[in-house]
Amino acid sequence: MRASIISVFIALFYISCGNRNAVKVGNTEEPEELSVNACRFRIETTGEINTVTILNPWQDTESTEFVWYLLPHEMTLPDSLRDRSVIRVPVERIICMSTTHLAMLKALDAMDAVVGISGADLVYDPEIRSAVKAGFIPDVGYENNLDKELIVSLSPDVLIAYGVSPASAEYLRKLSELGVTVMFDADYLEEHPLARCEWLKVFGLLTGKREMADSIIAVVSQNYMELADSLKRMITFRPRVLLGAPWEDVWYVPPFNSFAARLIEDAGGSYLFGDLVTPNAVPFSTESVFKSATEADLWLNPGSATSLDDIRQADYRLAQLPVFKSGRVCNNNARSHREGGNDYWESAVVHPDIILRDIASLLHPELFPGYSPVFYRILQ
Amino acid sequence: MRMAGRTHISVTLTFIILGLMLALLFVLDIMIGSTRLEASDVFRSLFGQGTEHGEIIVMQFRLPKAVTALIAGAAMSVSGLLMQTLFRNPLAGPDVLGVSSGAGLGVALMILTLSPVFEFSSLNPLHGWSLIIAACAGAGAVMVIIMAVSARVRDIMTVLIIGILLASAISSVVSLLQYFSNESMLKTYVIWTMGNLGNLSPVQVRVLLAASSAGMLMAFMQVKPLNALLMGETFSRSVGVNMKRTRIALFASASILAGSVTAFCGPLAFIGIAVPHITRLLFSTSDHKVLVPGVIITGATVVLLSDIVSALPGGGQIIPVNTVTSLIGIPVVLWIIAGKSMMGRKI
Repeated sequence: MRASIISVFIALFYISCGNRNAVKVGNTEEPEELSVNACRFRIETTGEINTVTILNPWQDTESTEFVWYLLPHEMTLPDSLRDRSVIRVPVERIICMSTTHLAMLKALDAMDAVVGISGADLVYDPEIRSAVKAGFIPDVGYENNLDKELIVSLSPDVLIAYGVSPASAEYLRKLSELGVTVMFDADYLEEHPLARCEWLKVFGLLTGKREMADSIIAVVSQNYMELADSLKRMITFRPRVLLGAPWEDVWYVPPFNSFAARLIEDAGGSYLFGDLVTPNAVPFSTESVFKSATEADLWLNPGSATSLDDIRQADYRLAQLPVFKSGRVCNNNARSHREGGNDYWESAVVHPDIILRDIASLLHPELFPGYSPVFYRILQ
Repeated sequence: MRMAGRTHISVTLTFIILGLMLALLFVLDIMIGSTRLEASDVFRSLFGQGTEHGEIIVMQFRLPKAVTALIAGAAMSVSGLLMQTLFRNPLAGPDVLGVSSGAGLGVALMILTLSPVFEFSSLNPLHGWSLIIAACAGAGAVMVIIMAVSARVRDIMTVLIIGILLASAISSVVSLLQYFSNESMLKTYVIWTMGNLGNLSPVQVRVLLAASSAGMLMAFMQVKPLNALLMGETFSRSVGVNMKRTRIALFASASILAGSVTAFCGPLAFIGIAVPHITRLLFSTSDHKVLVPGVIITGATVVLLSDIVSALPGGGQIIPVNTVTSLIGIPVVLWIIAGKSMMGRKI
């Protein structure tokens, strides 16, 4: 087992890292290229010190770097690190700003360390929700609306934040001035599902559970790649897939080099906008997407629709798409609740293999008899 | 009344030219769209002979959008004209009364606060009527306040100041709501503020048409008092205009027009301010018998043109129509400021 894990890692190691590379990788359709390392962080180990470098933690930046030095509690601080961002590990008190952070800590069985969360309504996990409701885990607010006093009073060892723009770095800087150690996480920007999962490593280092993190990643990666590989061999055709839903009359179309499109390709589908390669989603008119969508065989992730009627009410014209008429519309909110929490944006981050199986079963139901998707539901 | 120097013939000629332009742009708007469709396909689709999807694109995407552009342009422009004349202020527009802000507040409240309660987030921004009803309620509430103020305050400039203050206060409340909302709610609201002509169902287009027609009819009925108002309120009273009734009728008309358009299409920037000036320039007159139909046809033309421009990036991409109307509107406002003294005489 150990050997196979190591070999997987060696394989992973040699495959190029980089979202920019992934743009091309996506088009080559070679199974070997499926494994991609996370590109938004780098870990270097020197003795007992782990250096975590977070690269470009928000969109539209190519040269932003943040470095943290993770030192064991008992180690004396070397002079060279006096003015650096040092985090003593394992951390015992963490504030999480995103649901994906919670999912990672839960996967590592480290939920006890969570002392504060952001946006409690968006959490899916029933246990965490009841802990929040009972007042065991306080909600520290979100983005510009953070309760800074509460955060300071919780005396966290680290606050894990996510950045959406340089502006987020600004308001988080205030927290740093107040003595809170803020660390960026950019898992949501990773374009490959396995790369997202790989952020477990960072959480593993923080919580002193690196080996556990590594073994989870290895198993998930293996499951994912084996499934993608066998799909590639078994499928005879690739159904065409439409993604997303319009906002008013604008349809933000995810590019081919996006997380969702990558899953479709790996699951044996063909993304309708396969020639769209850009860093961000592109605003198209509903009219033009409609024209392409008439060719779709499956429609995935239509906003927050929970039924076909939701879509019909939102835009009656979409109900005339062949894919709608044939009822081939599925959404990733099978595990969600009405306040907004959706497990797809939570525990699914550490289960890309299950998402892949879900989508593959929707694309090729004949290959998955008796399987019912975990994160997806077929809209009725 | 500056009919001098221009005969009825030239006014008629201007109407004919504008009418032809309007018809041409209407056809172009249906032809051009954001996705490629052969001209012959478009015509076949219009007469029910096209392919199934071609027909949907022409009859359900492009035609309702073009009709909405016509109505929205006409309605916002009339609303702006009424406000400019009533307040005798060239920079007045439908938004000075706070009606657009009121509609925005309704929408903001709906999106930013009530959405979890009503599970509004299912397929986020849309849910057809909910936003429209929220916007109507917001615009209506502001309209009632303005009417009440106007009935008590004699000086029209005071009403204008109160309207502007009200609009600012509402904007602050909207900012506050935005501050306390999450990203997807914010995105929904921001997209709403960008204006959108293309998401109305046939029933909604009909309701918008009915509301706007009522507002425009009221405007036509006020043509005489409007002309008298150009000479000032004192003069109007002396020629027998019932100022209180006129004000209420004008406020009601302007609010219904701006409120319904904002409710259905979002706030359309600058049309209400800019089009009356363009119209005065085109017709060289300040006679409302000409100006009211004039702004209807000019407003419809300008918004149709904006809609065509918004699809120009090609490849299926679009620019928000509000950006285009602002880009047309801002030069006009600059021109008003630059030539203010000249405009002062014209108005």
